[in-house]
Amino acid sequence: MELFLEQFPIVIHALNIGFLQTLKLFFVTLIGAFPLGLVIAFGSMSRFKPLSCFTKIIVWIVRGTPLMIQLLIIYYFPGLVLHNPIWGGGETGRFFAASVSFILNYACYFSEIYRGGIQGVPIGQTEAGLVLGMTKNQIFFKVTLLQMIKRIVPPMSNEIITLVKDTSLARIIALQEIIWAGQAFMKGSQGISGAIWPLFFTAVYYLICNGILTVLLGRLEKKLNYFR
Amino acid sequence: MKKKIAMTAALMMTLSLIGCGNTETAETTEAVASTEETVAEETASEESDLTYVLNKGTLVVGITDFAPMDYKDENGEWIGFDADMAKAYAKYLGVDVEFVEIDWDNKIMELDGKTIDCVWNGMTLTDEVTSAMECSNAYCNNAQVVIVPTDVADQYQDEASLTDLSFAVEAGSAGEEQATALGLNYTPVKAQSDALMEVAAGTSDAAIIDSLMAAAMVGEGTGYADLTYTIGLNKEEYGVGFRKGSDLAASLNNFFAESYADGSMMTCAETYGVQAAIVEQ
Repeated sequence: MELFLEQFPIVIHALNIGFLQTLKLFFVTLIGAFPLGLVIAFGSMSRFKPLSCFTKIIVWIVRGTPLMIQLLIIYYFPGLVLHNPIWGGGETGRFFAASVSFILNYACYFSEIYRGGIQGVPIGQTEAGLVLGMTKNQIFFKVTLLQMIKRIVPPMSNEIITLVKDTSLARIIALQEIIWAGQAFMKGSQGISGAIWPLFFTAVYYLICNGILTVLLGRLEKKLNYFR
Repeated sequence: MKKKIAMTAALMMTLSLIGCGNTETAETTEAVASTEETVAEETASEESDLTYVLNKGTLVVGITDFAPMDYKDENGEWIGFDADMAKAYAKYLGVDVEFVEIDWDNKIMELDGKTIDCVWNGMTLTDEVTSAMECSNAYCNNAQVVIVPTDVADQYQDEASLTDLSFAVEAGSAGEEQATALGLNYTPVKAQSDALMEVAAGTSDAAIIDSLMAAAMVGEGTGYADLTYTIGLNKEEYGVGFRKGSDLAASLNNFFAESYADGSMMTCAETYGVQAAIVEQ
């Protein structure tokens, strides 16, 4: 017990640093993937066949391969195949590479949710807009998009919560997120070695974070209820 | 319906064509790049790895948190026998040193992808390591030891007694090599520390890990107070790994010889209590 009390502050400090990295990756991914997902959704709904085919192939590749492999490819490929290690070896480079992989991966999942949301808005809504003399852009932003947002909140909440946990995959390219930080104490770090509990304790961070997110997303859903 | 089938078939054909196209271009660019490289290497010696590092001005050292070889002090500085020697070597070259924590499984990719310049982290010189990397001379001795729970340790004091046990070993480690050589029944896990956790949790009966690590991690006063190590399975040596064909390995050997001769290597080893394991250069 004494040993535990001695270790606790050291471990918490290290886990906090790791969790900060986790949160950074989480928010950067969301900021990047929200708009990119919409672009990809438009691409796959385009009436211009080559474009829609192309985006669909991209979505198929990204959704059809494990994120872990995508991380490895995006981080190591430039140096291994092109002999130009664009990311560099430092922590920043690893974070950028991880961000790019996560944004691309999540944008593809988001795009399909967006597509479902947009196509789920009844055609009557668009027709009503046309009758009122609205332009195509006006109809999309003022009628379709708003109703789509309401529809996609539950599936998006699912993806967002999964994303919090998926960030742990980034440790395959040695991004030092919270699980990495917890595992470090198993083999020895800062004078603590062979401590197993820090790794399991990381679960508490994920739980609290996802608890807060669940509450926030639930409130958002309620707020959007007036569309009914 | 027919139309749809035709379209799907067409799409699949285009896809396969794109697939082929991509690999072809990738291969050609690779071929072009490698020929360019060989040409460059032949025409100018500037392309050598040593000059690459000198021009860059930084030696990027791939490590893991592994006391007493590489670990952080209270200020977050990397210290340890390997870290201090790496700093001294960078000084000898006249470049800065940068330590980067890597995933040990990906060390060869990190080297070949030039995200790091060397692996300097108590690396056992196994056949796999020496075939994939340009390695320095051995500088430190080590052994693989068997970890078992303390209460049953007296039953497992020779190799013959190990056959009934289920082992956990780090995938690709020297420990796994030993387990294979002895025909033991084992499960590969991600890290030596995971192997210890397997034994502590009772999911495996025993583990095989480095003696230097075992000394630091099991027994009284550690997180694994109920575990102990019994027999040593082999003798082995630590070396530093560079990219295949790199001339940095030869340069490091010179540095090792010099620092062994002037006693600075021993002084450094004494700081971290590994002087008994140092190999004469």
